[in-house]
Amino acid sequence: MTQAPTPRHRGVIGAGGVILIAAFVTDCTYYTTALWQWANFSAWLITAGLIVTLIAVILLLIDFATGRAGRLNAGNFILVGAAALLSLVNAFVHSRDAWTSVVPQGILLSAASTLLLLIAGGRGWSLAMSRSTGARP
Amino acid sequence: MSRTSFRPVAALIPVVALAACGSKAGDPARQYGSDPYLPEPHEYLLPPMSVPKAIGWKVGETPTAFSGLKVEALATGLEHPRTLYTLPNGDILVVESNSPGTEPFRPKDYIAGKVKARAGAGAKGGNRITLLRAADGNGKPALRTVFIDHLHSPYGITLVGDTLYVANTDALLAFSYVAGMTQITSPGVRLADLPAGPIDHHWTKSMAASADGSKLYIGVGSNSNITENGMAVEEGRAAIYEVDRLTGAMRIFASGTRNPTSLAIEPQTHQLFAVVNERDEIGPDLVPDYLTSIREGGFYGWPYSYWGSHVDVRVHPQRPDLVAEAIKPDYGLSSHVAPLGLLFSEGQHLSPEFANGAFVGEHGSWDRSPLNGYQVIFVPFVDGRPAGKPVTVVTGFLGEDKETVHGRPVGLALDQSGALLVADDAGNTVWRVSAPHAF
Repeated sequence: MTQAPTPRHRGVIGAGGVILIAAFVTDCTYYTTALWQWANFSAWLITAGLIVTLIAVILLLIDFATGRAGRLNAGNFILVGAAALLSLVNAFVHSRDAWTSVVPQGILLSAASTLLLLIAGGRGWSLAMSRSTGARP
Repeated sequence: MSRTSFRPVAALIPVVALAACGSKAGDPARQYGSDPYLPEPHEYLLPPMSVPKAIGWKVGETPTAFSGLKVEALATGLEHPRTLYTLPNGDILVVESNSPGTEPFRPKDYIAGKVKARAGAGAKGGNRITLLRAADGNGKPALRTVFIDHLHSPYGITLVGDTLYVANTDALLAFSYVAGMTQITSPGVRLADLPAGPIDHHWTKSMAASADGSKLYIGVGSNSNITENGMAVEEGRAAIYEVDRLTGAMRIFASGTRNPTSLAIEPQTHQLFAVVNERDEIGPDLVPDYLTSIREGGFYGWPYSYWGSHVDVRVHPQRPDLVAEAIKPDYGLSSHVAPLGLLFSEGQHLSPEFANGAFVGEHGSWDRSPLNGYQVIFVPFVDGRPAGKPVTVVTGFLGEDKETVHGRPVGLALDQSGALLVADDAGNTVWRVSAPHAF
């Protein structure tokens, strides 16, 4: 039996997830130092993470359309989807000015989305089942 | 570094609550005077930006004025006129200027810049001063010349003796002036450096001379809304400086004034007054912009607190020692009106009602719905202090639908006949408001 083609979205989801997790790290650094540039890094990382995640979702649809992906991996989809929604709210929280753009709501949202993304990463990131076997890749 | 403790779940409740509803704006009249109504601060998920589209004035359209006063365009086709100054011979100087341009730091800055540009705030300034020489009788200038060109975001301007001082955003310049001059081509003497780039968020350098002419006062705005660009860039900002006119030596005269956009000397008491633009994004009715006397050595709150000791939690670390000494301003103008022009009246040329007090040009709000400001008001004074409710003097800058704006008032001056002049930077016009019996 030949190897099924790898879904295109998978690596991109991983990249988006890692960028959003990085925002939690920069939030923590801002919390401990109150140095403004860390809060700016967080705002950019959350914006970039959301854009990359959006690209991944588009690639997922292409994967479905081109038969590279099997059925939806509902568990990972919910984890990543919830993290993306929290991050979207967090992008607005981070658009506030100075300390309260991060503390307390921003850093809590970053922590929550990081937790969800770490679980999704541990489960292999893929939002769809592998086509050939129907099992998780 | 100190840490604040917080309860995670309780802290997230406001996020959800604010996603569901925004706070409603109240009647601005509650915030006039010495004891303005101050609601609880609220932070937003989505700041309520509300900016009317700038459409300019059609031929024949004008603002409307207090009953009986006449409004006409003194000059049109200017490049973002901001400040007006009347020379002793009656010539009128128009400072045409805008921000030198600031680098956006955050995703938000790109969006905010685009929205503000809609209301005409993004137009390029002329970086020059235009001279208008009034003709006898009809109030129309007989002569219009470029008085000083190639300036760098100029704003404050004042004449003392035979020296004309111009405050660029980065330097105080001195020019020799002889009565009747229509053009100055010399580059001017750089008397002092002023706090400017690389950020220069609030770029205007307002200026007034002391009553005896020995000192100049220069208003320098903060480098952020509320320290979001870091504390280091706020060194020497949000302050009013006193400059020795002859040597250029300068010191901070008062601090904590977030954006002191116009300074003036009260004619009876010779006391320095300022209008100050207060902070944004904690509610449609916070924080009231204000008109206040400026005390030497006084601290007016920014960034740590507003209207005296109301702490702003967005600033970290806090400074309770400074909050304790923060001065309450004299007179609230209501929130987000953006007062950019301050002018004391000199007698009752316009109306007996305006004999004693200050005119304030309100550029208008960008983060409040419904809109606030976009008018020139008069604040009555008694014994050298603001007292009583403000009176609207010039209005009609907004379109009737409140979605469009013809112009936005900025700097004010009185011409030689006592008529009120209003610079309009979105409409690129100088308006002349006169009593019907006058020319």
